[in-house]
Amino acid sequence: MGMKFKERWETLTWTWNPKSIRESSDSVVRNLLLHWFPAKVSHKSLSYRYSLWLGTISAVLFFILCATGLILMFLYVPSVERAYPSVKDIGFVASYGGFIRSVHRIAAHLMVVAVFLHMMRAFLTGAYKNGLGANQNRPVNWVLGVVLLFLTLLLSFTGYLLPWDQLAYWAITVGTNIASAAPLVGDKIRFFLLGGNQIDQNTLLRFYVLHCFVLPVSVFLLFSWHMWRVRKDGGLASVDREAQKAKEKKSIPIKTKTYALLGITSGRTVAVESSYIDQDENLVESVPNLTGRVLFVALATALLVITLAFLIQAPLEEAANPLVTPNPAKAPWYFLWLQELVADTTVHLGSFTINGALVGGILIPALLGLLLAAWPYFDRSSTAATGVWFAKERRRQNLVFLAVIFAILVLTFVGTFMRGPSWHLYWPWQAWPPSPTRF
Amino acid sequence: MKRNWDNLGIFLCGAGILLVTILVYAGQFQPEWKGYQKQFRAMVLEKYGAARAQQVPSGPQQIWAKDLNRVDRCTTCHLAVGWKGFEDAPEPFRTHDHAILEKHPIETYGCTSCHGGQGYATDLDSAHATALANWEQPLLGKDVSETYAVSDWHMMMQMNCNECHRYDRKTPGAEAINEAKALVDQKGCRACHTINGRGGVIGPDLTYEGDKSTEQHDYSRLLGVQSEFGWHVAHFMEPTAMSPGTVMPAFGFTSHQAEVLSLLVMSWKRNPVPMQFMHGVKLGDFPTPEEIAKEKQMETGEGAFFVKHTCFVCHSVSTLGIESATNIGPDLANAVTDVPARFGRPLDDFLMSPTGTMSVVLATQIHLSPEERREAIAKLKIANQLLVQQQAKTGRGKKE
Repeated sequence: MGMKFKERWETLTWTWNPKSIRESSDSVVRNLLLHWFPAKVSHKSLSYRYSLWLGTISAVLFFILCATGLILMFLYVPSVERAYPSVKDIGFVASYGGFIRSVHRIAAHLMVVAVFLHMMRAFLTGAYKNGLGANQNRPVNWVLGVVLLFLTLLLSFTGYLLPWDQLAYWAITVGTNIASAAPLVGDKIRFFLLGGNQIDQNTLLRFYVLHCFVLPVSVFLLFSWHMWRVRKDGGLASVDREAQKAKEKKSIPIKTKTYALLGITSGRTVAVESSYIDQDENLVESVPNLTGRVLFVALATALLVITLAFLIQAPLEEAANPLVTPNPAKAPWYFLWLQELVADTTVHLGSFTINGALVGGILIPALLGLLLAAWPYFDRSSTAATGVWFAKERRRQNLVFLAVIFAILVLTFVGTFMRGPSWHLYWPWQAWPPSPTRF
Repeated sequence: MKRNWDNLGIFLCGAGILLVTILVYAGQFQPEWKGYQKQFRAMVLEKYGAARAQQVPSGPQQIWAKDLNRVDRCTTCHLAVGWKGFEDAPEPFRTHDHAILEKHPIETYGCTSCHGGQGYATDLDSAHATALANWEQPLLGKDVSETYAVSDWHMMMQMNCNECHRYDRKTPGAEAINEAKALVDQKGCRACHTINGRGGVIGPDLTYEGDKSTEQHDYSRLLGVQSEFGWHVAHFMEPTAMSPGTVMPAFGFTSHQAEVLSLLVMSWKRNPVPMQFMHGVKLGDFPTPEEIAKEKQMETGEGAFFVKHTCFVCHSVSTLGIESATNIGPDLANAVTDVPARFGRPLDDFLMSPTGTMSVVLATQIHLSPEERREAIAKLKIANQLLVQQQAKTGRGKKE
């Protein structure tokens, strides 16, 4: 009986614990969860130092968010009258409700950070550049990544409103007011976002549907496309770099094997250059080497999230009150660099005020966003700069990129920690004047 | 491949996740209220025996006062509310005063509609909300009273009684509010302010003063606790200290009087309570016949001029039936003789180009045209004649 159980168990788990190289390759074909992995991966693509595993971390955070979000959907009521009380109930009486909400909140913040860092990593390593492989089109994947970054921000932003507290209400007020500064269509965009002229039931329902269905599904589809393109582009860009190095050494090409979708497709879509990618000494089986590492990264991410969620409770301020503006009213932190930019580009000339919302809130971020998405098409560096951290050839663009990032971080820091009531400057350690209470 | 390192990481992270999960799980199973419930069960066991102790409920308790849009979980810890025999037990194990619950059944009123605090909460700090940044209505109990050194903590809560009982002249049990209402009549607040639809228009309408949001007051001149209550108290004590340039005089209130008045004005809210909760509660603020007669005399009598031009805020004109609530300035009935005695100039001359306090008042707060000034002088002369007549009468009376 015991043996029988063990055998049965092994038939269920063999794809995760193959006994031979053959079983390992087979497992990738047979298991739905493993099918997007190649049968074998290079040492280089498993490296922590190259990729920092930020894409995996982002994806893990996304799935944590989906899981916790699904639970919260059973408890949350997207109506102006019930939203705030239902979040109170989640915090005070739903079993583990407060913890699950904290996990959701922390993971959301971390996902913005992880996706942003992932974008930085891809830029600084020139990972959006094609290497030596056939049919590569990494710039497309970069554009997908930029869209995913934008969707991540939107996901976080739409989720921000749902608790319907003062923090939510006024952060969304600031955010959507910035959008209304767009020339010609600004007010229409705001009307469209809010479902009216002010933040009310229509806005809440819109943001809810966007947050719980439209955006997550979009992210999931684009994420799948993103992963599919990684496979189509021959894996991580660092592999191209290794291939290039190998080519420079002029190693003798060997007979090629291809794992490209197990030979179903014509051509060598996945392979980079046989001289490197097909040499067994550079490769290991994906199961368990890649799967093990993915599991480790996933668990480490989960551990970080739940530990933080255990220590830090998700905030919930007073119920939303359109008649009382908190001072200062701040956008979500990842948009504070924009709010700060708006404040800094607002010019007072005597009695005239030129509002910075257009320049600081629309033009500069739009320009930066477009430039970011289109950058691979401007980058003229050679394939030798593909998949290398701080390639010499790309030094100037990396410096400019880092300077822009630095500026964004400084503005975010100032907006988050140094702006007090009436948007006056305060040192982070300086106390703000106390805000009055009823008693 | 450093495969073992990965495996070690997997096991360590797994152990970490298990540990945090256990901590979260343990926290969920050791909530603050569980201790109170256990303690109360032991108290009932000791007093009434095992059978009654079994009746003590366990788990979170809540009262859903649907019509008042409240969910109050206070009875999760305050289990003794409806029990007899714990009248002298320490909180949260004390029996609630029965008389008041009879008129305000807890099932329909909940707890927070009277006591304040955060009904949703299931832990002490969040529920009492006295040191919480994210809840505007703290428990109106001892903590808040201590902050303001209020003599009797029960009086803070009476603010909430008056949300429904605003039209009562006297509400049994709400002594602080009753005291404040008596002051409103005594000091003639309605001379300047409209309250419940009656009163003057010199000061702002106070009917819904309690609906002002905290941010609508200017706290820059307020020392001490930055709160709406604190602001009102300071304003009642010395109006010009909080609102420079206000015409509202200082009435010389004691701090206790200022406190009860603050509670009263903060209770004046647009009432969202459904009518079925107002059964037997007076729904109109009607003046007594004497009040109507006095008001008519003030507004339409010979001295109406002094009411219309707000002189009566500081001055009585006794012979014309004008009574100042404050009497900051002298009675104007004898202004004709008093002004020359004080300023060495006849009344006509003085009022046309005043000196001292009156020069400031007439330059900033009360604007009188030359015609109006002449009218004032004429009225004051009439007032003086009446005074002389009165004095003559009393003088004759003395002789006889």
